[in-house]
Amino acid sequence: MADFDAIVVGSGMSGGWSAKELAERGLKVLVLERGPEIVPDRDYTDTIPPWERPNLDRVPEEEIERHYPKQYGGVAYAIKETTKHFWVKDDEHPYEEAEGTRYDWLRGYHTGGRSIMWSRQAYRLGPQDFEANEREGVGVDWPVRYEDIAPWYDHVERFAGIAGSAEGLAQLPDGVFQPAFALTCAEEEFKARVEAAFPGRNVIPARVAHITAATEEQRALGRSNCRVRDRCEHGCVFRAYFSSLNATLPAARRTGNLTLVHNAIVQSIDYDPGTARVTGVRVIDAVSKRTRTYTTRVLFLNASTIASAMILLQSASEAFPNGLANRSDQVGRNLMDHVSGAGASGLIAGFENRTVFGRRPGGIYIPRYANITEHDKPYLRGFGFQGGGTPVGAGGGVAGIGRAFKEAHRAPAPWRVSIGAFGEQLPHPDNRVTLHPSRRDSWGNPIAVFDVTYGDNERIMLAEARKDAIAMLEAAGCTDIRSAEVDLTPPGNRIHEMGSARMGRDPATSVLNGWCQAHDVANLFVTDGSFMASSACQNPSLTYMAFSARAANHAADLMAEGGL
Amino acid sequence: MISRRDVIRNLVISLGGSSLLSACGGRVTLQALAPDAGARFYGERELAVLSRVSDLLLPRTETPGALDVHVPALLDGLMAEWANAETRAQHRASLAALDEALGIRAGGDFLAAPDPVAERALAAVDADAFGGEPVEGYRDLKALVTQAYFATEGGAVDEQGWVAVPGRWDPCADR
Repeated sequence: MADFDAIVVGSGMSGGWSAKELAERGLKVLVLERGPEIVPDRDYTDTIPPWERPNLDRVPEEEIERHYPKQYGGVAYAIKETTKHFWVKDDEHPYEEAEGTRYDWLRGYHTGGRSIMWSRQAYRLGPQDFEANEREGVGVDWPVRYEDIAPWYDHVERFAGIAGSAEGLAQLPDGVFQPAFALTCAEEEFKARVEAAFPGRNVIPARVAHITAATEEQRALGRSNCRVRDRCEHGCVFRAYFSSLNATLPAARRTGNLTLVHNAIVQSIDYDPGTARVTGVRVIDAVSKRTRTYTTRVLFLNASTIASAMILLQSASEAFPNGLANRSDQVGRNLMDHVSGAGASGLIAGFENRTVFGRRPGGIYIPRYANITEHDKPYLRGFGFQGGGTPVGAGGGVAGIGRAFKEAHRAPAPWRVSIGAFGEQLPHPDNRVTLHPSRRDSWGNPIAVFDVTYGDNERIMLAEARKDAIAMLEAAGCTDIRSAEVDLTPPGNRIHEMGSARMGRDPATSVLNGWCQAHDVANLFVTDGSFMASSACQNPSLTYMAFSARAANHAADLMAEGGL
Repeated sequence: MISRRDVIRNLVISLGGSSLLSACGGRVTLQALAPDAGARFYGERELAVLSRVSDLLLPRTETPGALDVHVPALLDGLMAEWANAETRAQHRASLAALDEALGIRAGGDFLAAPDPVAERALAAVDADAFGGEPVEGYRDLKALVTQAYFATEGGAVDEQGWVAVPGRWDPCADR
């Protein structure tokens, strides 16, 4: 008899959902987390006021050079003295990049994974996103359509808490929303002018995974409304934003069916060729380095797009010489992210005697219009813009000394609207992560080697996005428009990695079926970003949640029917 | 209203266990600024120059000034604990360049200049930085002093009205 009904590898964004749904279906669930435990009362730092943060909350420069060159280089804004414990040390978790390429693998190993540090932007994919591969002959066709996943978006939104506004846009479907954070007066003006000048474009409030009207279910988990503090990167004692630590793991725990083991690094998955089933997971303790095996009836990989692919590749056997469930040779390939590096900002007049109160978690969003409402584009797919319009703080950057200089920081200020593009990256089999042939980490696992580059479509798209951004600011009457030359963000830098075990209809060309279930191994599911057959341009976490919940309930159904 | 001279007179400090006495405005003895410890990074003159510049940039008004909230001590700790060797060297060079430029504009030692002279000297350096020939590193130094000031409780709460827990979002409030 197996130790557990289900094992979930990874406690982050998707792993929390897998665990919650499986545990609520009455299954005994083990969650394996490779990092240490995060205890909110001890490890969240969101209540430390600015004056108690050492050295302006800056991580010592020598410490950055020694421990965080990749992490800090990728997300300097998020790595502070009081948040650095949420990020891995690069020297302890190395990886390599193919010559001439760069890949930013930005992450944290601990309870909740990156659901603690995410930017909380939460958008549904639209019907077009599930149809484009087939229509354009790119990658493989998604084996699901929007209608298949829509009820599961409802399911996860209701539980997570998404602040957003119903807009009736076909390409960015509405969901189960709590009240949105209203647009600022400058954003309202920008919206009116842009939508008048470009009838196919919309400026809407960002949709963010923050509670603004807590439900009974959310309150029962100790969650309450967002206090508008802008302290999310430090954790949240109000549990107002969605993370697995704040929401799904507590929900799983209250069933009495959850076992959560920390410092458990997966080395490989055991596979029984006789039954064609996974039987267990071999792990090494990150601290003691003792190894052991946990057995299970069903396995969910939620270790992250990179780590789940690596675990499959590490689990080669006679039956699967290229890695578990990898008869298609697609594991580790088609690695995608979103691409940024194009945008613009400009001053918008008329609001100098107004200001804002509170520090909201999201600004504006301009949903994709390219190849949706406008069809004159020299590229496939499209991008959304994220940004905002707020008063410009002096920040010490103005002339003057003495009382005048001091008071300039609270004087009437101009407002600036800024927008930046998040573009879709097309899948390409040569964009991949592989296992280093000889180099091992401290626990004996091969380190990752990345070989990812952008193609012409991404380069052309972002160049056009910059032009569009400037045109919209001009149409809005902005002045002092600033727009740096396009400088594409390195692959991985948006921290939206996906696609390394894509789903598809054909086992010869895809790893998973439409339920995130391995074509080759019936009791193996992969529901982190690995399953994505295309990246769309929307922030993907909400989609990972929905597919995880759907897959977990499907697995539970199959187990109840004796199908696994 | 309290005068700058009073502000400085009210500052009492020990640096490394001994009082640092230096002239300021030719009339006022000072100072030092670390609340409970000696300077770890700055030399005596560097600290005195930084202190006087911080005070001139962000004086006590109806709200605390840079010296009230110990900005020089904060920056001393920042340089000792956060900065690497390259940043420290650049920071020292900026302070030295500023000291020299202020001395030229004050017609002598900046630290010995009377308050009005010192104020005019810094105003001239500042004007050059935003429209003429900037003193190397001055704008970065000014931004750092300002950032440090607004990161203190006096700067954040008393001067800027920073609220730890806003609790609500008003997207278009009266100023």
